[in-house]
Amino acid sequence: MKETIDGSRCPRCALVVAPPEAYCPRHPVAMTPAALPGVGEIVSFTTLHAAPEGFRSPLHIALVELQGGARFVCHGSETRGVKIGSRVAIEAIDHIYYFSTLGALDRARLFWRRTGHASERVNAITRSVVKRMWKGKSRAES
Amino acid sequence: MGDVFVAGAGMTRIGRRAESLPSLMAEASHAALAVAGLETPEAIVVAAMNPEEFLGDGNFASNVATHMGFADVPTIRIETATSSGAAALYAGFAQVAARLRRNVLVVGGEKMTHLSTPRVSELIGRSIDPYERSYGATMPALAGLITRALLARHADGAREIAQVAVKNHANAVRNPYAHFPTAVTLDEVMASRMVADPLRLLHCCPISDGAAAVVLTAETTAVRVAGIGQGTDTLAVRHRRDLTSFRATQAAARAAFAMAGFGPARVDFAEIHDAFAPFELISLEDTGLVPPGKAGRATLDGETALDGRLPINPSGGLKARGHPLAATGLAQIVECVWQLTGRAEGRQLDGRIALAHSIGGLATNNWISILESRG
Repeated sequence: MKETIDGSRCPRCALVVAPPEAYCPRHPVAMTPAALPGVGEIVSFTTLHAAPEGFRSPLHIALVELQGGARFVCHGSETRGVKIGSRVAIEAIDHIYYFSTLGALDRARLFWRRTGHASERVNAITRSVVKRMWKGKSRAES
Repeated sequence: MGDVFVAGAGMTRIGRRAESLPSLMAEASHAALAVAGLETPEAIVVAAMNPEEFLGDGNFASNVATHMGFADVPTIRIETATSSGAAALYAGFAQVAARLRRNVLVVGGEKMTHLSTPRVSELIGRSIDPYERSYGATMPALAGLITRALLARHADGAREIAQVAVKNHANAVRNPYAHFPTAVTLDEVMASRMVADPLRLLHCCPISDGAAAVVLTAETTAVRVAGIGQGTDTLAVRHRRDLTSFRATQAAARAAFAMAGFGPARVDFAEIHDAFAPFELISLEDTGLVPPGKAGRATLDGETALDGRLPINPSGGLKARGHPLAATGLAQIVECVWQLTGRAEGRQLDGRIALAHSIGGLATNNWISILESRG
């Protein structure tokens, strides 16, 4: 499911940030709320092999430019096949945001939409859910 | 505004030190005061990034002043994260330029090797935007994002970045004050352990203890502070448009060169904030010392080596001299002063204009200082 991400926009310079801020970082004016679609492009990403307290290594961190302009920091389950410029979808699990490649999500959606054996669809969605759960584990309880 | 000169400079050996931070600061301060021929300064500026958490000590200006025998000298403390030493230089400079004081001792230092590496990382990481930190972002993690963006723009980027570390270690071999006076090869850097992919261990500066000090004066000496500039940027990296250049450095350079009345073409050598090797390449371009996109090539071609056209980090830089946080901005100034006054034995350069560049946080509060030899 595609998320909507809460952000805010500067009425003076039109900078969009997520999550929302009270004031524009570059102007002393109150920002106005903006709802941003949870899809965007990878600006950069890293895998941290010495994660700080409260996290487990390897920890994948990405900077994603959302449609609508805000740049957003999130986790990922893996970075194999990910490139700068990759299209990704953002999902929230327990209020923590993760990116996944849009291709995989598209596939999941196609499974759902296409006619066929119900068991196949359920299998596909189960795999997807298991994958999501696995992502959740990459971030330790803090 | 009156002219401001450097009367003396001194520092401790950087590395793993057993002494307390006030003792390290006293060692550096008394060395600088001895060169200046001054027993007691009119005022003191102390730089320490986080003694509250590294050491459990607060009220640090008074702590240090009292320890050094200067309980009666007016002392303040300055903090701008990892550029605190450079910010303290500015605070001392401003007092002397305004002629509020005839001379000021500026001293910076940090002590952290007694703590575990994860603990030090966490404490330094507190200078990062809280939301980004809540996703596990540390300084190396953010530097990893920046490094990947840089590599995407340079076909030979991995070698260019590694060569920064090779060069700075080679320089440190000639510096008796350096934390790691040991040579490393390109292959060793490129095969070192991955820290924050694509950033490797030997791209990163060490955790160090140490202190550095300078005495500023209104009296004419051999070295004048020609310009100091500060530049700032958003705390959050995600609020910026460009990952491969730092606005804070660009703004600081504009301000410093405007005060100096000349441009980067006149700089003979520089100390650059290479906490992560790619930052040296980014900063060479942001300061205007090297044209945009050319820093990596210039580094591989040896232009920034000790015997190159524009020597960068003759001390070994943060990478190999070491990075005791609030000491660093002043250790850079000490190196520049020693180079300008013929006291950099073993690595002596021939130059009249020196530039020092210090990054605070993830390039949120940066400084450029320009020194001019009058000899």
